[in-house]
Amino acid sequence: MRSTRLSVLLSYLLLGGMAMLFVVPLLMMFIGSLKPDQNILVEAGSLAAFLPSDVSLQNYADVFRRSDFPRYLFNSLFITGCIVICGLLVNSMAAYAFARLQWRGRDLLFNLVLALMVLPFEAIAIPLFYGASILGLRDSYTVQIVPFIANAFAVYLFYSFFISMPKELEEAARLDGASTLRIFFSIIMPNAKPVFASVAILTFLTWWGSYLWPMMVTIGPAVRPLPVAIASFFTLPPLYWGDILAFGVMMVSPVLLLFVTFQRWFVRGVASSAIKG
Amino acid sequence: MTRDSRSNEQTATALLMAIPALAGLLLFILLPFATALLLAFTDLRLGSPLLVRFVGFDQFIHLINDPDFVRALFNNLLFAAVVVPLQTALALALALLLNRGLPGTVAFRTLFFMPVVFPMSLVSVIWSLIYAPGPDGMMNAFLEWGSFGLWEPRDFLRDPMLALPGIMLLSIWQGVGFQMVILLAGLQGIPQSLYEAAALDGAGSRQQLIHITLPQLRNPMIFVMLITTILAFRLFDQVQIMTRGGPDNATTTVIYETVQAAFARQQVALASAMTVVFFLFVLAVTWLQRRYTHHEREVS
Amino acid sequence: MASIEFDNVSRSFDGGIDAVHKLNLNISDGEFMVLVGPSGCGKSTLLRMAAGLEEITSGEIRIGGRAVNHIPAQQRNVAMVFQNYALYPHMTVRRNLDFPLRMQRLSSADIERRVRHIAEMLDLVPLLERKPKALSGGQRQRVAMGRAIIREADLFLMDEPLSNLDARLRVQIRSEIVRLQKELAITTLYVTHDQAEAMTLGQRIAVLKEGRLQQVAQPSEIYQHPANTFVASFIGSPGMNLIRGTLRHNQGNTLLQLGPMRLILPEQVASRYTGLNSRYDQTLIAGIRPSHIRIDQEQSQTGLSARITSVESLGHETILHLATELEVDAAEITDRGVFATQPRPLIALLPGHQGFTTGDRLTLNLDIDNLCLFDPQGKAID
Repeated sequence: MRSTRLSVLLSYLLLGGMAMLFVVPLLMMFIGSLKPDQNILVEAGSLAAFLPSDVSLQNYADVFRRSDFPRYLFNSLFITGCIVICGLLVNSMAAYAFARLQWRGRDLLFNLVLALMVLPFEAIAIPLFYGASILGLRDSYTVQIVPFIANAFAVYLFYSFFISMPKELEEAARLDGASTLRIFFSIIMPNAKPVFASVAILTFLTWWGSYLWPMMVTIGPAVRPLPVAIASFFTLPPLYWGDILAFGVMMVSPVLLLFVTFQRWFVRGVASSAIKG
Repeated sequence: MTRDSRSNEQTATALLMAIPALAGLLLFILLPFATALLLAFTDLRLGSPLLVRFVGFDQFIHLINDPDFVRALFNNLLFAAVVVPLQTALALALALLLNRGLPGTVAFRTLFFMPVVFPMSLVSVIWSLIYAPGPDGMMNAFLEWGSFGLWEPRDFLRDPMLALPGIMLLSIWQGVGFQMVILLAGLQGIPQSLYEAAALDGAGSRQQLIHITLPQLRNPMIFVMLITTILAFRLFDQVQIMTRGGPDNATTTVIYETVQAAFARQQVALASAMTVVFFLFVLAVTWLQRRYTHHEREVS
Repeated sequence: MASIEFDNVSRSFDGGIDAVHKLNLNISDGEFMVLVGPSGCGKSTLLRMAAGLEEITSGEIRIGGRAVNHIPAQQRNVAMVFQNYALYPHMTVRRNLDFPLRMQRLSSADIERRVRHIAEMLDLVPLLERKPKALSGGQRQRVAMGRAIIREADLFLMDEPLSNLDARLRVQIRSEIVRLQKELAITTLYVTHDQAEAMTLGQRIAVLKEGRLQQVAQPSEIYQHPANTFVASFIGSPGMNLIRGTLRHNQGNTLLQLGPMRLILPEQVASRYTGLNSRYDQTLIAGIRPSHIRIDQEQSQTGLSARITSVESLGHETILHLATELEVDAAEITDRGVFATQPRPLIALLPGHQGFTTGDRLTLNLDIDNLCLFDPQGKAID
């Protein structure tokens, strides 16, 4: 398409305007986290909100003093990490069995998996919660990890990828004497990196920010992840905005770093979720 | 004969590979869902000394007559009716702008996508500050400046007229990048030759948008609308953190009511019935999506 | 090394016709057998059944006398070169070559020795640490060959291994394959749709059509004495001309009436066939190779007049399409994609460059010593 100078200018104006709306809350968080508490609310209504004043790291120190931030961070990383890693293994193996192996009951079970994709987590939260309570598993890592490893949508994403891979590689490996498991780990996995990356990123985004379930099952701070921690820090009197913003910055920084480094993979991962259509 | 011997060997391996995921799905998704379905037709209430009875559709009838639940359902539908078109249109506009390949595109894409990696709970907390009451609140100050002083400072999250729109706005802010990326991938998947053919046929850029881009983008658009609609029904985190359903049920939602029924009032059966209603809505939306998605065979 | 026998082998798909139908074929130890036929004739299916990649619906396949129907591909000790090579993209050439050896859990010294041997034999030494992506088509082909050879398998299967190469490379690797096969004396089953490739490679050729075996013989035999009109027209480029005619008997001579032409079959030709006399006054099909048509530029009495409808000049040879009064049969398969809607031309092949143009009138003579006779159903007359 030809672009005239005017339309280029217009595009940049629109993009720039939108960019402002996206930048403002982020900038406010980062700048605000460096300001003394009393400045934040006072300056929020003016451009001063985006200018540093009386810069210090006092808020960050306060977060460590008033809450067990390292523990929450560890909890979040550990819980999400376990779900992602175990999920990749378990779901990709199942998808391979559905996509490539001949076995009785395969089609029936695969249709069941497809049907389960429709079920959002909220539809099963209540019984799952009472199940966990009966088993005495509330306030544990287990209850925050194990139920979410198997994932119908992840199986489906892997399945779509495997089914479109050329069969010759696997046939060559079979003739070369490799067993089915060996083929999966030595031939399929290394050649399916894009789908593993996509599923890892989608799973990560889903559970890293997950709030409802940990809010239901965690009681104390021991196994509480960040999203619940910031919500309760937010309601923990007295309300110090500086501390809350500092908490937010620390909470989101590792992910932002990851996102900026692996941006292409994030974008590809999210885009690949649409093949469901 | 041959078929049997080979599939026996494969069946063993296949089961080994599929059982962990299948067991997980059965235990943690199918079983709880079946339980919810079952409980919805009982009168189970934790801590109640009475025996559990099957009560048929009583819980559902109760729900229809419960003004709080009806309001929650209305809020979800309103949220979907406003957010889905707005967010989709915005995502499409951003995707079209970014797809022009102007210098700096990657920086803009990064920025628009960034909120997606923010947990909703953090977004809710940040926006609570933006919505701070009084003339010093950022949103109030901005609106006052934008309306040349006509805007009277309001307490957004405690105003029955403004609380839900406020939540809608931050939800769009957080979610639009996700949709944008999907539509951008859709745009980039349209073969350049189609545009070249259209240009040769004399179509201008607006006609190309209408006759090539939008029809080719049909499936990603439908998908984007589907996930946004489902997200609208799942609305919970923002409400729980920012308004607790208030003021005056102005921001209550089906999931918020479900959690209230289950945990604040121990009405497990009632909460299960709400879950079922919620699921039926999701099912209907998904069905619509499947119905209207085109499955075009590839021309080979 | 081993022989391989296909005993009444069939492969059917649900609800469809058989991809391979009751096929019998024996390939002896060390033999190079080429399976050739148009696409969809079942040749690849047959190969994949031998490999264990495709189920055998009925019948039995024996490798080295041992029935392998129930033996999975992993345990058949069969090596295969795929059409697109199927090199493992994430492994270096060295890893690709030693993968089958690692599967056999050979000692690393053994593996190292064999990789070096194969790499030297195939000129792959400088490429060992590269990934397949960084190789040219010919190099990939050699790696695929190497990975198959290194196993020292009982049986070597090749599924159109040259079809992804350009013409020049194809000829070069063709002779390479013949050399390697002789050197290793390994039983080889080679699939191709290219009859020229089949003719140059095979010790014997098996021609397939629609899942059925048409003829198995040495290349010269297939060329000179095709078992039926399908083989006659499929082998050779261009294929054999098939002309409808009638066998007559007159004053002790056997005559072949082809259109207006009456040819006397010489005794040494007629004696090749038994029981020609039972076919007097019956329709049959005479086959003549395009190179066995002689052209006389002057009009003559004995010949057949013809008009050139098109000329294909290839430099080293010239192909003429000729309109005649002969009734030329539509061959069941041609590699030139001519449809039988128009009267089919007679095809003649002349050496060198010839100065003909479309519309020229000529007189033809058929080289009667090289005539093949088929019954109306297309089967060669004994």
